[in-house]
Amino acid sequence: MNRPLLIVSLLVAAGLATLPWLGSDTMIQFGINALLLATLAQSWNILGGFTGYVSFGNSVFYGLGTYGTAIAMTNYNLPFGVGLAIGAVVAMIAALLVGLPILRLRGPYFAIATLGLNGAMMAIFSNLPIAGSNIGLVLPLTRNDAMFYELALGLLVACSLTVLWISRARFGMGLIAVREDEDAAGSMGVNATRYKVAALVMASFFTAIAGGIHAYWSTFVDPASAFDSTLNVRMVISVVFGGPGTVLGPVIGSFILSTVYEVLASQISTAAALLFGVVIVLAVIFMPKGLADILRSRRNLTWRYFIRNIRENRL
Amino acid sequence: MVLAQILLNGILLGGLYGLMALGMALVWGVLNIVNLSHGALIMLGGYVVYYLFTIGGIDPFVALPIAMLVMFAVGFLLQYYLLNLVVRSKMLNTLLITFGLDVVLTYLAQLTFSADFRTINPPYAGANFALFGLTVPSVRLAAFVVAIVLAAALWFLLHRMALGRAIRATAQNLVAARLYGVNPSVLYAVTFGIGTALAGAAGGLYGMIANLTPYIGASLTAKSFVIAIIGGLSNPFYVIFGGIFVGIAESLTALYIGPTYSDVISFGLLVVVLVLRPNRTLRTS
Amino acid sequence: MKKQIGLAGIAALVAASLLAPAAQAEDVITLGASVQLTGTNANTGRYYKDAYQLAIDKINAAGGVKVGDKTYQLKLDVLDNQSDVNLSVRQYVQLISADKVNFLLGPFASNFALSDSSVAEKYQIPMVQGGGAATQIYTRGYKYVFGTLPPADDYYASTIEMMGKMNPAPKSVALVAADDSFDVSVAKGTRKHLADAGMKLAVDETFREGSADFSTILTQVKAANVDAILWTGHETEALNFIRQMKGLNVNPNGLYAFTVGVPTADFRKALGPDANYAYGMTSWLPNPSLKDKWFGDAAQFAAEYKAKFNYSPDYHAASGAADVETFAMALEKAGSLDPKKVRDAIAGISFDSLYANIKYGADGQIVLPQVVVQIQNDKLVPIYTTDFINKAQYPTPAWDKR
Repeated sequence: MNRPLLIVSLLVAAGLATLPWLGSDTMIQFGINALLLATLAQSWNILGGFTGYVSFGNSVFYGLGTYGTAIAMTNYNLPFGVGLAIGAVVAMIAALLVGLPILRLRGPYFAIATLGLNGAMMAIFSNLPIAGSNIGLVLPLTRNDAMFYELALGLLVACSLTVLWISRARFGMGLIAVREDEDAAGSMGVNATRYKVAALVMASFFTAIAGGIHAYWSTFVDPASAFDSTLNVRMVISVVFGGPGTVLGPVIGSFILSTVYEVLASQISTAAALLFGVVIVLAVIFMPKGLADILRSRRNLTWRYFIRNIRENRL
Repeated sequence: MVLAQILLNGILLGGLYGLMALGMALVWGVLNIVNLSHGALIMLGGYVVYYLFTIGGIDPFVALPIAMLVMFAVGFLLQYYLLNLVVRSKMLNTLLITFGLDVVLTYLAQLTFSADFRTINPPYAGANFALFGLTVPSVRLAAFVVAIVLAAALWFLLHRMALGRAIRATAQNLVAARLYGVNPSVLYAVTFGIGTALAGAAGGLYGMIANLTPYIGASLTAKSFVIAIIGGLSNPFYVIFGGIFVGIAESLTALYIGPTYSDVISFGLLVVVLVLRPNRTLRTS
Repeated sequence: MKKQIGLAGIAALVAASLLAPAAQAEDVITLGASVQLTGTNANTGRYYKDAYQLAIDKINAAGGVKVGDKTYQLKLDVLDNQSDVNLSVRQYVQLISADKVNFLLGPFASNFALSDSSVAEKYQIPMVQGGGAATQIYTRGYKYVFGTLPPADDYYASTIEMMGKMNPAPKSVALVAADDSFDVSVAKGTRKHLADAGMKLAVDETFREGSADFSTILTQVKAANVDAILWTGHETEALNFIRQMKGLNVNPNGLYAFTVGVPTADFRKALGPDANYAYGMTSWLPNPSLKDKWFGDAAQFAAEYKAKFNYSPDYHAASGAADVETFAMALEKAGSLDPKKVRDAIAGISFDSLYANIKYGADGQIVLPQVVVQIQNDKLVPIYTTDFINKAQYPTPAWDKR
């Protein structure tokens, strides 16, 4: 990412910040959802995009952030900010504790371990009385969507700047080295485990905060929505669609997918799920390297590009 | 007595669990595709048996092989025309495409079969007999036997037949597969077809024990996952053992801790097994 | 290129805003709802959409609603929440702020009503919902949420009262409940009612929502040799439970009863003769004694509903129709479209409808007794409300003696 692109991006972000004064309530609502999903995708990108480790356990951190905020606010009457902080700290500790054993697993094993972790967490929380068991918790109602919007936007900017830093820092080089050849990276003196765990902890921080914001905004949390593996799949799809390991790809990918999903859900209503599924299937077949790759090769972008993708991946 | 009955329940249910996971383990081990639409295929198989039974008037156990043929065709076509297009790309992409496929199949099922639940309810569905003071539900016992028979058939196919050798060779590498004179695209499709046929059989049996709705797929996929990992992908019988293990573990959890904790145990087991035995071989040997 | 990327983001947001539909016509009052038309709850969600539509058509055919000196037609705006709670919340915001609906009708199920009603409260738009019974919905001090399902805590009150009058009266009871908000409310209330009636709670098990296998619970119930099973959960789980009761040869000495499922035609169709003897409950039966301003009475409502949608309505549908009628009555009473005035009118309303006498308590929830029903020879027979209506088939014979 070069300097002009950075400036344009920050200008766009500044422009987006004015939306609560210009847009309708629906737009603000759509904005909050889209910004939170973009943040989740961007956080997923920190580990998944740079190291290639496919995590289905980011929804664990989302859920911990959600419940951290909800429990702090409903059971202990703590302010929202404190709740967010508690959720984030708990999520980061969890990332550290589970990261050490499961990040030793490679490929599909890691993916499945994280999926199992999410299933276990959902089941644990649906048995926790302090978390309202399977019924969930009702948070106090706040009529301040502009605040939630600005928080979500700020979080996305912070997360994206972190990713920008990673992409330039030695830390990022180490992560990419892990992706390209983990064993070689080890022999070059990169402590792969430490890098991966650090990436997971960073991701858990932003993911948990996003969960906390969503919890207070939607005023209701239950295990099914807090530890929703479909949400995790959406993070993954957004990143893959936009371009893994890039700074803007995940954000743009998730904005586009949010729009598609929202338009489908509100306009075509009943067939939305079907079309969403078809979009995923087609995207994987025709553009498995994401939008970023399409933009990179845009000068000679013809139908041949898509045929070439199929040719590379088919049997 | 309660404990013995609960162990029996767990073992019988576990056989069916194992059969659910069998197709997933085969496809995963041989084709290296983690099929997230596996549960949806189980669901489809259940509906095929349901319609053969209610409209065709065919006994569900007789309908089972027919449903397996139908589902074989479904699986063959899916792999040949769709999944073969992405099979060489990253594991992540095959995960995503099968997730998309799951969404599409579930939706189409709802469109075709409606959201109403269906039951495969032959007159003998509730039959049972007493054995050493325990109650043995006949249909569950039959489902257990079918699961063992199909696992044995799969083992025989893989280890004693030319097609099976070709399939196992494919798991090692594609070039070797060509030596058997089979077109790899067809071989992939046949393998996926067999996996889908097994899913179809599991669906038919499931429908005799619990209701079918278009939405049962997701939880069955998760269950199959857990069992495929715990049982390992190398031997059909291990997968059945994995199923029985999970069946017993769930039943004991429900008895001693509470029914709401059974997911904690099965997902917990999954993570623990992976962490403790990370270097388990994935591929069929 | 950079611009393109930035523009893509903006374009995405702009596209969303352009999708806001055109403003409504002058003389139309729009009622908005997000209902489960697809997904796991779709088979009950359809009752609400169909009931809303039928009631609105009927009211319009009778000339619409007179507010002040102006007459309005009602219009329904229904979105499909795909049985996804988060989506339903978003859709209610969309209904209010983009589609500019005037008032809100509810979704199905307590967990949906629980989250969706906070949107109504947030925007101070009255919501009348007939799909959520959990007490949690009404204990938050919300002012804009009204409900036509009776409190979940009391669902088993009439059944337990009836059990006390049975011969022999059940003494030990197994309570089996799902772990979602509605069923936890039911279980909590039932424990209290059982204690008050002096019955012993021999088995008290909670199962995970969506469970398909009940063999462990059934084995425990069988070992405890109970006189009655009181079960609460979702319809599909109820079916699995009964089928597995038969498979494991579990039969209580007295009776077994369910909060949901039993009154529906699907239930009897799926189980065939195995549905017989099961007790259930309903807050509504298509009884001609329930007079209605628009439909005449509940029986006529049921007939029209069946003719139009090709399946029979149950209490969900009647409750949904009563929600629409609540708005029609309240609007005429308020003489204004102002949400606050309509809200106050709803709070003070009392009228006879095809569903019941509609009158909301201070917390916003209606109070109605549950009619105990039983399936006898494949027919649904009302058994008890405050006294016996028909003779119960009691005790339930063993599975092999039916």
